Amino acid sequence: MKETSQLKISGNRITQFAVLHSRFVVRAVAAITILLVLGAGLPTLLPGTFGVLPAAQIDTDPETMLPAEHPARVFHNESKEKYGLSDAVFLGVVNDSHEHGVFNTETLGKVFAITEYAKKLEGVIAADVMAPSTVDSIGNDGPGTVTFDWLMAEPPTSQEEALAVRDRAMRIPFLKDTLVSHDGKALVIYVPIEDKDVAHEVAVALQDKLDALGTGKDQFHIAGLPVAEDTFGIEMFIQMAISAPVAMLVIFLLMWFYFRRFSLIVSPMLVAMAAALSTMALLVITGNTIHIMSSMIPIFIMPIAVLDAVHIISDFFDTYQETRDRRKTIEKVMHHLSSPMLFTSLTTAAGFGSLAFTPIPPVQTFGIFVAFGVLAAWFFTIVFVPAYIMLLPEKRLLNFGRATEGAEDTATGLLGGMGRMRRGHAKLIVLLSVALVALAAVGIDKIRVNDNPTKWFEEDHPIRVADRVLNQHFGGTYDAYLEFEYDVPEYTAESFAARLAERAFADAAASREVFAELGVALTVSSSSDPMDLLDELDALARSKRMGESRAAHRIGWSLTGDFLAEQYELAEEIEESEAVEAEESEADGSAATFGALMAQSLEKSSEGIASRLSSVGEAARGVAANAPADEEAFLAALRSYYETLEAGEGAGSLIEGFIGRAEQADEVFKRPDVLAYLEKFQQAMQANPAIGKSNSLADIVKVVHRDLMSGEEADYRLPATSDTVGQTLAQYQSSHRKDDLWHFVTTDYQQGVVWFQLKSGDNREMESVLASVDSYLAENPPPISMTTPKWFGLTYINVVWQNNMVTGMVGALLGSFVIVLIMMTVLFRSLLWGILSMIPLTLTVGLIYGVLGLIGKDYDMPVAVLSSLSLGLAVDYAIHFLARARELRHESANWAEALEAVFGAPARAISRNVIVVGVGFLPLLLAPLVPYQTVGILIAAILLLAGIATLGILPALITLLEPWLFKSKMANSLPEARSSRATVNEKQS
Amino acid sequence: MRILTTTLASLVLILILSSSEASAKDLSVNEVVERTNAASYYQGKDGKATVTMTVVDKKGSKRTRQFTVLRRNSADVGGDQSFYVHFNKPADVAKMVFIAHKKVKGSDDRWLYLPGLDLVKRIAASDERTSFVGSDFFYEDVSGRSLAKDNHKLVETSKNYYVLENTPKKASSVEFASYKMWVHKGTFLPTKVEYYNKAGKKYRVMTVESVEDVQGFKTVTRATMESLTLGTKTIVEYKNVKYNTGLPAKVFTERYLRRAPLKYLK
Repeated sequence: MKETSQLKISGNRITQFAVLHSRFVVRAVAAITILLVLGAGLPTLLPGTFGVLPAAQIDTDPETMLPAEHPARVFHNESKEKYGLSDAVFLGVVNDSHEHGVFNTETLGKVFAITEYAKKLEGVIAADVMAPSTVDSIGNDGPGTVTFDWLMAEPPTSQEEALAVRDRAMRIPFLKDTLVSHDGKALVIYVPIEDKDVAHEVAVALQDKLDALGTGKDQFHIAGLPVAEDTFGIEMFIQMAISAPVAMLVIFLLMWFYFRRFSLIVSPMLVAMAAALSTMALLVITGNTIHIMSSMIPIFIMPIAVLDAVHIISDFFDTYQETRDRRKTIEKVMHHLSSPMLFTSLTTAAGFGSLAFTPIPPVQTFGIFVAFGVLAAWFFTIVFVPAYIMLLPEKRLLNFGRATEGAEDTATGLLGGMGRMRRGHAKLIVLLSVALVALAAVGIDKIRVNDNPTKWFEEDHPIRVADRVLNQHFGGTYDAYLEFEYDVPEYTAESFAARLAERAFADAAASREVFAELGVALTVSSSSDPMDLLDELDALARSKRMGESRAAHRIGWSLTGDFLAEQYELAEEIEESEAVEAEESEADGSAATFGALMAQSLEKSSEGIASRLSSVGEAARGVAANAPADEEAFLAALRSYYETLEAGEGAGSLIEGFIGRAEQADEVFKRPDVLAYLEKFQQAMQANPAIGKSNSLADIVKVVHRDLMSGEEADYRLPATSDTVGQTLAQYQSSHRKDDLWHFVTTDYQQGVVWFQLKSGDNREMESVLASVDSYLAENPPPISMTTPKWFGLTYINVVWQNNMVTGMVGALLGSFVIVLIMMTVLFRSLLWGILSMIPLTLTVGLIYGVLGLIGKDYDMPVAVLSSLSLGLAVDYAIHFLARARELRHESANWAEALEAVFGAPARAISRNVIVVGVGFLPLLLAPLVPYQTVGILIAAILLLAGIATLGILPALITLLEPWLFKSKMANSLPEARSSRATVNEKQS
Repeated sequence: MRILTTTLASLVLILILSSSEASAKDLSVNEVVERTNAASYYQGKDGKATVTMTVVDKKGSKRTRQFTVLRRNSADVGGDQSFYVHFNKPADVAKMVFIAHKKVKGSDDRWLYLPGLDLVKRIAASDERTSFVGSDFFYEDVSGRSLAKDNHKLVETSKNYYVLENTPKKASSVEFASYKMWVHKGTFLPTKVEYYNKAGKKYRVMTVESVEDVQGFKTVTRATMESLTLGTKTIVEYKNVKYNTGLPAKVFTERYLRRAPLKYLK
């Protein structure tokens, strides 16, 4: 009690100071505000001239929702860099009127022109622009011929050519539904940019060019997350510049309706402006960025700032005519209000301050600065409003509080009636509330956590339209990437040497076997000509090699190929020399002689190869003794061992081949089994409707393989060996875009990504993809040891911060609930009263979320943040109501009488507050951005609910709990109660 | 006007006309261009080299390809030629073979052999300004760009260099707007070539880093092609360079795609 009274007294002292030094106080408040605004404004307008003061910085990047050092964000950025993936502006082209859609000469002509134009724009990564004229088409140009060419080298001049472009594109699965839609009605030009900051500039430049070209029957849509973000930044300021002032205007008009004194109601407006402006200025001065979250700070501060001032004016309005002395009136009003105002401000600040403990930096900044703004508003209110009133000429207040009394009487009567009704039906009201809580619980259970930055724009916003149209035509414009990484076995020189030796012995054994088989074929051959014999054996060796599934045997057959190549050369030499000799003597039995010689050298070769390969085991053990640091060093040492052995001749193609294969042994993403795993995984994921399509290295290999082979669908498959994959990719790289490959795999072929195109940016959809992937991976382990696959891409990042937000917000809300409860218990010196004061806010928060759940509105970022606001505001009304109820109870004969009095001035102040502030924020519905609309409608709903809950349930509960609440009058009395008597008596008389 | 187009003086074995033959001052653009072409691509009757291409990506990681290249000229300098490229490294592309019959007039004939598929494939006439097996060099850099495709201008003659500026006759068929070439007066080897894109920005640079005398021919043994916009570069090195080895025409035929001409590759 002592503490409370001290607070009260110091509050009164501040008011006394303000009243005595009113001129100074008004000037000081104005000066502080102006100074802060200049401190923020000047460095922004004239950057660099004010030393350490930073200029205002705008940040509309949703990535910022995660701390820069968050593992998911770090990995996202590293991976973007690693795979050369840039943010891009999408230019969608749709033609619904032409029979062949966009594939007509006119549209493609424009597409070509705009692509050329885009490539030249500053900030555009020209080499990575994806458009029909910048991507390659691999094709099959008749039997035995493969083509590598631009998909559309030049704008087509005839319909046939236009259709040829379409047909080529449709054959390439990673272009179909990514670059061109399957129905041919749409295509997309991807314009990658160096930095997200240029997105808007690039979009505007493209739009200008389109206007100049004339769109005709084509529709053009500019989309992509960077554009959305940049546009959001711009519209954010439009809303700050329009919605917030309109809100202020509406609040002003409503206050005018109630108080009819321009000069008086200007003061809450000034307090709100001073609080909002200085907070924002401080935000800029401290170097914080203006983010989607922090841009909402003024909108949150203003209603709260007005709240306290409206209480003062309302009470002043109701009591001024009693004494017609502004000093006495203001002192009395402040005496009643200083304690509730301090506590309401502290609880509100605590509610927002708790956001500092969420793991989302922009939300932290938001919470801290709103908390600061609330306290600034409190301070400005208690010093500025009384000082301001003191400065008003007495005659301006002459009729204040009278002119509208008639109108107000109705309201007073109504409120009084409500109070009586509540007392009479206390049980019913409590029962009803319990029923509502139950209903809310059902709704809360149904709450769907979901967000989507694209949906921050209204339905008919060009960005939403583009999003809809493009996702309808294509596999999806939302990207998520899943990285698979080979878990490389730990290296030790011994184990590596052992692996090499094992492989060398296997190769040696296989080559022996294979050479023996060739030897048998040689023996049984009936070819009479050396060349025929060689052709026969060569054909055998090839078909054996191609049909062989064991790697060592394949290598063996390949070595027989080298042997046969030598024999061919020998045969050619013999042929040439025989041609000379033929004239001199009759040649005979050359095939037989050749065959016999060949059998000898075959045996010799076979033995030589086998023993040379076997020697690797011994050599590897020797190298291991020196413990090379890694595989690369090990193999280099092995190579130089053989080079020394061969005295400068090089390691020889046999050993060189062996070492070369060992060097590539860890290039697992060339392995057909690994690619087949990706292929199956992608096919399985296609069952999830959220996934439009996916692309991976497997898709590239299949397409190139198909067109290198027959060009037919049957060859759209993975080749059988890693070597073939390597050769296929070497061809893929012999294109205009050699580096496209590295968007899918790292250069060491140990990491690869599957690129998912999602049709919606809803976090819920992404989460369903995460779930599908997890369950697939759990049931289908990869063929090689891999680390747990990791996600990146903005669509995924959004899910990460959303989950952070949900858990963070729940924690913050529970934390601040406990803090507020403690504060209330301290304020009322009673746990019961403390709990009582928490009931309206609990009901409000519960009902708000219950209704959201029931109507299916997504729980998104603005909704989450508003939980803090509802907590802060709903408790305010309860504090005011309970503080006055308790005071008045002590002054009254019984609770019924006290209740009547509470439903006088205090209830009026609350109802005025609800209406002024709640209605005042409906203009936010005019904002072009959905989060602001959500904030507007929810603030109004929260205030209304909190007001109803306070005025409806608290009287009923007090009525029911009266014996416990007021068991000892004096013990719970607040020191100011004595002076309140006058008010109550006057009211009653 | 005819001009030399080549950027890469390299895969090729280069014959140097002795510098005493002509006094530089008297040379017309035409002569400079033709001599440069001859020095870059036509030295000797034939030639052979082991080529190592090191592709360095943005992050500095390196990938190496090694192949043996054989070249054989037709009768006239500046005329048709044949190339045979046999890959040695990395292991997975070993034995991959590429044959080209370069035609001064008309499109080149090109064939490909992929050992993994045991597949011989003809490559259809198409754009020659595509990457040579994933490097920063284009096929056209390796084979030589036909002089007739560009207009050539001698923009500067300094003490040691002729500076040529070349602009394509058919701008829509190439990605560059022009390229500038610094031709060394003594050797007629282009020591630096800069490519400019349609926005007038330099985006590709070839630099010769080492020239050696091989059998009396001044030969580029190391050069770099840098793709400024991609942030990648490729270093090419020539070893075991030999001229006039007596390569027969048959080596450049389809049957040698499948079966390496071992004695000529050694």
